[in-house]
Amino acid sequence: MADGTDTASKIVSLRELAALVPDGASVALGGSFLHRGPFAFVRELIRQRRIGLEIVKQSPGYDLDVLCRAGAVAKAYTGIVAMEGNFGLAPWYRRAVERKEIELEENACYSLTSRLRAAAYGVPFQPVAGLHGSDIPALNGWKEIPDPYGSGRSVWVVPALSPDFAVLHAPEVSEHGDVRILGTPHWDRIMSRAAKRVLVVAERIAPMESFREHPEKTLVPHFMVEAVAVQPQGAWPGSCHPDYAIDYPAVEHYMSEAESTLQAHLERAPELRGSSRD
Amino acid sequence: MTEPLKTQPLKTEPWSPFSYIVTNLARFVEPGDVAFSGVNSSMAMLACLLAKRAYDFPFTYINVAGGVDPEPRYAPLSSSDPELARESASIFANEDFYDLCARGRMDLCFLGAAQIDAQGRTNVSVIGDWHEPKVRLPGGGGAAVMLPTARRSCTWRTEHSTRTLVDRLDFITGGGGMYGVVTPIAVLVKRDGRLRLDSWHPDVTVDEVVDRTGFELDTSGAAPTRPPTEAERAALASLDPDGTFERDAKIRG
Repeated sequence: MADGTDTASKIVSLRELAALVPDGASVALGGSFLHRGPFAFVRELIRQRRIGLEIVKQSPGYDLDVLCRAGAVAKAYTGIVAMEGNFGLAPWYRRAVERKEIELEENACYSLTSRLRAAAYGVPFQPVAGLHGSDIPALNGWKEIPDPYGSGRSVWVVPALSPDFAVLHAPEVSEHGDVRILGTPHWDRIMSRAAKRVLVVAERIAPMESFREHPEKTLVPHFMVEAVAVQPQGAWPGSCHPDYAIDYPAVEHYMSEAESTLQAHLERAPELRGSSRD
Repeated sequence: MTEPLKTQPLKTEPWSPFSYIVTNLARFVEPGDVAFSGVNSSMAMLACLLAKRAYDFPFTYINVAGGVDPEPRYAPLSSSDPELARESASIFANEDFYDLCARGRMDLCFLGAAQIDAQGRTNVSVIGDWHEPKVRLPGGGGAAVMLPTARRSCTWRTEHSTRTLVDRLDFITGGGGMYGVVTPIAVLVKRDGRLRLDSWHPDVTVDEVVDRTGFELDTSGAAPTRPPTEAERAALASLDPDGTFERDAKIRG
């Protein structure tokens, strides 16, 4: 079921959902910093000992950091990486880059968005505003081209980037996989259009009727979604608007340097309570 | 150069470095602006909220949580918290505000920086060589695109030193250049392509500001910074009622 056109139920367990992503896959992760990220999914990738992942996200934090801490990452395409919420830099990501354990493609958030836009728009590259005077384009071998219509301006162009997967966390889905985001979609929309396959973790299934009543609130229609896992508190220790806020004590615990912290943190996760993971 | 003015003893209470930065960032907001604060930017978020509460002119505050003139019940620790979209009549999401900036319609953009040079260019990428990093910093983020395209960009540093205000950046993340920079001891504003001293904290001298700046600093026409007004003080107190932001910022003057 590589596409989502079958309207039979797409609901699978979190374990099955994560198992769809093989070692070495490129994965765009939804949300931003500590907000509405597919964090239960990320932890499940770690439990399944995934390695060699390429992570694509304009503003990752905890998700990229915990994946680096577990040794699951080969490469990151990022705009800005930090824990936020006054926790500062993402320490395990930072170390992984400094020790060259992972490869980094440093972007502006907007250049990475433009790379995803090229993929979403079906073109090989995308012009992107700004970037003039920055060392970033040369770092990545990007090209600057003259306006072919003769304005005399030049523009940087960035190549298309189509991740193997976009994985989003949403408060609500329909049983067929329609995805409803409440509040800001962050970068989720362009990720869902650029990626080859879309997987979703949701807090709950909402009635089909509520989607028909407000179709404009649906960010991703079901036919684009391959599979969905229902996982309450799945964005922990981050927030999922409007259901819950950041669990700051849990993030503080995660930041502890102790060797045993990662395991303890993974064991405290909500997806291990109840049977939803399976 | 004339001898700097001797510090005038203030009649009011001392002006903390934290309050100095937030208040002077807020003062960059002009009537009618579309002003933006982003991720990882508590000081900028507080400045925009302070300007809304303390100033009687209209401007539009947009932020990375999608909020457009929101009415948050409190200032959240995360400057991208959904609280910053509370009571907003629209969600103006990431692609929207970046596109707005890209087409030249963002009046005031607050962006973080680790190093700043005399032209106001910034490094938020790396300390040391990019390929042999001593410290890997957060990265390109908004700077590389917003700094050259916003009408005015402003930043803050919680440390005013030759490590932060540098003659030569380790890496140029954002070209274009900052219009304004606020540190715990000074406000710098760009004129004729270079950052110059606009005003200094009344508790320090001009010489100290010059000594602690890594690039040559023109101080002509500068004056001590106006003390905070009652409205500014009250607004900041209401945004940080128990001093959490001030404590977490750990700023020394």
